[in-house]
Amino acid sequence: MGYVPVKGGTQAIEASIKRLTYERLKGEEILEINTILATMGSMVDQVMSESSLYSPELAALAIKQGEGSMEEAVFLMRAHRSTLPRHYYSETVEAETMLVERRISASFKDIPGGQLLGATYDYTHRLLDFGLLEESMETNRKWLQDYKNNLSALQGSTEVVYFPKVVDYLRKEGLFKTYEPDNTFPNDVTKQSLQFPTTRSARLQVLTRGQTGTVTSFGYASLRGYGQVHPTVGEVRVGKIPIYTAHPNEVDPDPEDQFYVGEMRITEVESFVPVTVKNDNNEGELEFEIGYGVCYGQNETKAIAMSILDQCLEHPNADFPTHDEEFVLLHLDSVESTGFISHLKLPHYVTFQSKLDSIRQVKKGVQEVES
Amino acid sequence: MKRRRRTEILIQGDGRLAKDLAASIAEKYECREISAPEQGMIMVKMRETAKNSLFYIGEVLTTEAKAEISGEIGTGLLVGMDEQRASDLAIIDAAYKAQLPETAEWEPLLLDEEQQIHAAKAQQQAGLFETKVNFETMEV
Repeated sequence: MGYVPVKGGTQAIEASIKRLTYERLKGEEILEINTILATMGSMVDQVMSESSLYSPELAALAIKQGEGSMEEAVFLMRAHRSTLPRHYYSETVEAETMLVERRISASFKDIPGGQLLGATYDYTHRLLDFGLLEESMETNRKWLQDYKNNLSALQGSTEVVYFPKVVDYLRKEGLFKTYEPDNTFPNDVTKQSLQFPTTRSARLQVLTRGQTGTVTSFGYASLRGYGQVHPTVGEVRVGKIPIYTAHPNEVDPDPEDQFYVGEMRITEVESFVPVTVKNDNNEGELEFEIGYGVCYGQNETKAIAMSILDQCLEHPNADFPTHDEEFVLLHLDSVESTGFISHLKLPHYVTFQSKLDSIRQVKKGVQEVES
Repeated sequence: MKRRRRTEILIQGDGRLAKDLAASIAEKYECREISAPEQGMIMVKMRETAKNSLFYIGEVLTTEAKAEISGEIGTGLLVGMDEQRASDLAIIDAAYKAQLPETAEWEPLLLDEEQQIHAAKAQQQAGLFETKVNFETMEV
């Protein structure tokens, strides 16, 4: 049987796209971008993180256009990103500059500066709130006014507090290893494809832009025995960090002449992982290492899972899939994984016919032998 | 005032001061738009706290504009989608580079705005401290 090239479907595709528009419009409701920004913060954060482009406005637009599909929204953001010029690289962002909104430790109750719960679902009952079915703006405004009145009555300090890292406190005590600043120029996986073995900078970049569900599942797999890392969370913090950049053409490198560009909200995690190392007498000794996780917005599960995977990949081990950097890093990306799975829907008529032909030939051969 | 501090004030503020300062220059001097506000990205380099090394966390959307006053080119660059403020910042940056006499008069305005931004942050943090945990050690 010969192969027959075909074309067509243009009209059907146009009709399908019209149908898609119809499905979006038929409910006769318009979801405003501001409504998404104001009420769907976690979703916006997740889209920004997985697309590796920090812009709440564009993420909200992508969510609206993709009708709430995460993979579609991330794809739209990545596609748009590829059309934008990148004129600047930031100065190094240091974590200590974060204006903290939330900060907890599962390792110590008494951390310097204290534990700030901020806004979290962690202590809420997971019961559907049927009151939201009949939510009124008037009631909400009154609640907000009362809340703001209570806050304005607070006698706070006039100073703004920046919190030290829990790990710095432990390093000062000599309980954790101290590392000198390593200013090796980082790799950029958006400019150069991932090369194995990878560098630490490439690993962290791939992990932080990974699909939330996949990062979480791989981290979970490590805890369940498909890896050798089971950490205690040293610190989770959520807050805004400032971004600065130097003028591209000015020769004077005075830091005071840099541009402040704005800030971005991130989640950052340090996980403490016990490891056994040999001391000078070749005896096993317990030490702690740190797994690092960070992502755009507030997405604590992803950042904690990333910290587990960071530690896994620092200790390659072929016996465990979560310690295999090719396995982990090549399957985390939303656009790559959803794109590859979706491509299976595209016409494979020729390749499938080829497989059918092979089976027919085999069966025909078997029949001839049998007869 | 150096650029780092003044851009912190003008970007963290609500935009009215930047608009007023830029308008006061635009009505007195010839301001030429070198490049209209356009969206772009800045790649953010970060230091991780496990091994103290550097990596790229990702890109951030920015709006950038450029303006020229008396042969000096100013840049307005900020996170997000705010064309008006990018243009205003470009004019203000050009005004400082051209050492226009008005910039000396802006100092108290900027310092006042800085104080207000600081007070707002401190007030927000006071609210946050309501969520600080006070642990009580239990008798066992």
